[in-house]
Amino acid sequence: MSLAGPAALPVATSAAPRLDLPKRLFTRFRASLPAYLLLLPSLVFLALFTYGAMGRVLIDALYQRATPKAPVRFVGLDNISAVLADPAFTGAVVNNLIYAVGTAIPSIGLALLFALTLSRTHAVSSALRAALFLPVLIPMVAASALFMFIFLPNVGLLDYYIGRLMPVLPNWLGDPDIALYAIMIITIWKNAGYYMLFFLAGLQAVPEDVMEAAHLDGAGPYQRLRHIILPELKPTFLFVIVIAILNAVTQVDHVFVMTQGGPSNSTNLVLFYIYQQAVEHYDVGKASAATLLTLAALMGLTALSFRTMANREGGP
Amino acid sequence: MLFSRRLMFGLAIAGTMAGALAVPALAGEGPTEIDLFFPVPVDGKLARDMGTLIKEFNEGHPDIKATAVYTGSYDDTLIKTRAAIKAGKPPSAVIMSANFLLDMQIENELTNLDALIKADGTTKEQFLGQLFPALQGNAVINRSVYGVPFHNSTPLLYINADKAKEAGLDPEKPPQTWAELTDWAKKLTKREGDKVTQWGIAIPCAYDYCGWMMETLTMSNGGRYYNEEFGGEVYYDTPSMLGALTWWNDLVTKHKVHAPGATPGPAVSTSFISGNAAMMMLSTGSLTYVRDNAKFAYKVAFIPRNVRNAVPIGGASLIVPAGLEADKQKAAWTLIKWMTSPEKSGWWSRATGYFAPNMAAYKTPEMVEFLNKNPDAKTAVEQLDVAKPWFATYKTVPVRKTLEDEVMLVLNGKKQPKEALAAAQKAADETLKPYNAETSLKLP
Repeated sequence: MSLAGPAALPVATSAAPRLDLPKRLFTRFRASLPAYLLLLPSLVFLALFTYGAMGRVLIDALYQRATPKAPVRFVGLDNISAVLADPAFTGAVVNNLIYAVGTAIPSIGLALLFALTLSRTHAVSSALRAALFLPVLIPMVAASALFMFIFLPNVGLLDYYIGRLMPVLPNWLGDPDIALYAIMIITIWKNAGYYMLFFLAGLQAVPEDVMEAAHLDGAGPYQRLRHIILPELKPTFLFVIVIAILNAVTQVDHVFVMTQGGPSNSTNLVLFYIYQQAVEHYDVGKASAATLLTLAALMGLTALSFRTMANREGGP
Repeated sequence: MLFSRRLMFGLAIAGTMAGALAVPALAGEGPTEIDLFFPVPVDGKLARDMGTLIKEFNEGHPDIKATAVYTGSYDDTLIKTRAAIKAGKPPSAVIMSANFLLDMQIENELTNLDALIKADGTTKEQFLGQLFPALQGNAVINRSVYGVPFHNSTPLLYINADKAKEAGLDPEKPPQTWAELTDWAKKLTKREGDKVTQWGIAIPCAYDYCGWMMETLTMSNGGRYYNEEFGGEVYYDTPSMLGALTWWNDLVTKHKVHAPGATPGPAVSTSFISGNAAMMMLSTGSLTYVRDNAKFAYKVAFIPRNVRNAVPIGGASLIVPAGLEADKQKAAWTLIKWMTSPEKSGWWSRATGYFAPNMAAYKTPEMVEFLNKNPDAKTAVEQLDVAKPWFATYKTVPVRKTLEDEVMLVLNGKKQPKEALAAAQKAADETLKPYNAETSLKLP
């Protein structure tokens, strides 16, 4: 019944072309009413739990209390400028950039390597795929607890093996120069197998006949990779890069479990900074301002990637 | 339109259900229902012990139905309590980290317990008189009682007695001064070329623990760390703290008897248990863990002094959040009094390893027997004579972190103690500024 609505629309408009505007609008609205009603449940929940929350953050970001007992008052953009002036925030942004680049590139590189090696399906490669995918199945919190023991100074698994080679052992999570990289290793270990899945799927889409033709023309494995496989994988790359960057901002469970942003803020990432402002400093205004800045950056990134994808689909 | 009508109907039902959930259940004739938020800072076994305790309480009090709600670590418990208060549904009682009380009082989140004490016909002095004096500082704010100490701890020096004997040291005469401790640590450190195979001493430094250890070292160096009477001041850039941090740093860089970098608490205890560190400074809360896991003879001792013997307390107090109905408040007070009675307090102490705040608990026959069997549990109680309150300021956690971040830099060889403490003081003063603007600097 609801499907019959839109089909009847052209008949109704052509039968009465000189109807006045409100009536025409009403007719159109009536015609698409079932569609709106079908969307309503999702819209209600999106409004309640996504846009409502975002609106609340926007409002909270504009208010601040001057002293502990004073009531909150409107301060405009003061919270945002306070966040931008906070060295802990700029430090967290720099850390997050290092973290994003330093986890995205190696994990995507490894994922591509795994996918190329294991693209043909047989018993061995299936088993290896499963083995490489295993870290994805382990919850981040459990993985962090596991790695805490691996990274334990002097007595941990890592030091047990490396200790035979190096006289002075690094304090993996206790040294501000090393801790961020230790955290990054876990992310790479966990995400490479996940991204491998996308590349495996992407490789299925590489046309077999083109590959065969290249083979007959005498193109070597490198040439085939450089001129056929990689160009065909471009959409996959784009998608995986966006996912990797989003992960770098939103997946910080291991920071909570392993370092709490320390030592000396060296592993403080943006999301953890927001948590600290809200929970430790009890400063909702500043936390909301930092959330807004992060949201804006993520929305910009998403818009950019959607546009790039749309351009590709529209082009030749 | 049939489809959408059914949809509307569904939405209407969903709405009604949501409404029904939102409307609080009407108070009937049944028992008063109260929630107790409790953290588990050490082992998971605590959750089971708490279940046993609350079951016993409910059986003895048919007019009250208490439910124990596990809320994670100390920090998580503060977060969840604040969230519940903001949502207008505060729990009736919470086991709260003892040094969070001041911050909560400043934020108007605590119930003043004076009236409840008075209603019982007890004076405040009588009530506080049951507790070890060292615990009163964190429970009393502006001469009003805001919390009842429930389980507490102090830092201890743990010594691997087997290794001490091996090095020609007598574990029955543990080091009493920093000089003696440095000497012990040097003798207990073993090297193979550049590589250290056994560290003389390990002191934890991760968020929370690091600040507590700095307070421990500063106090035994004659210092105070913070203003016990007023939440707007900390004393980071002072000679007593400079001496404390410099000594800690010397253990790492000059004497090379302490592993470089910041080491979290679990790593320190693992290191001690595995024999990688011959001594460690850790909470009494870890005593049960060490007793159960050490495959060697160990010895616990007071924290050595440089100027005086003094340590901060740790642990948690029972609080009643602000904004509760009178009947729930009364029920919560009954629960708190029951939980902190000498018998229950002693039982909890034996189950967990914390010491019991109520002095009368140590006169119960069960406790006397337990201490005879486990004399190491006595050391923590004896050290209480020299114990002092735990640092508590406006925004305790961020103010503590400003110091911890700088201490971590020093232990990693990135900063010198003097400049680190000056930076920590500056950052802490900045955080405390709004509170001072409202109190000490608000002039007529």
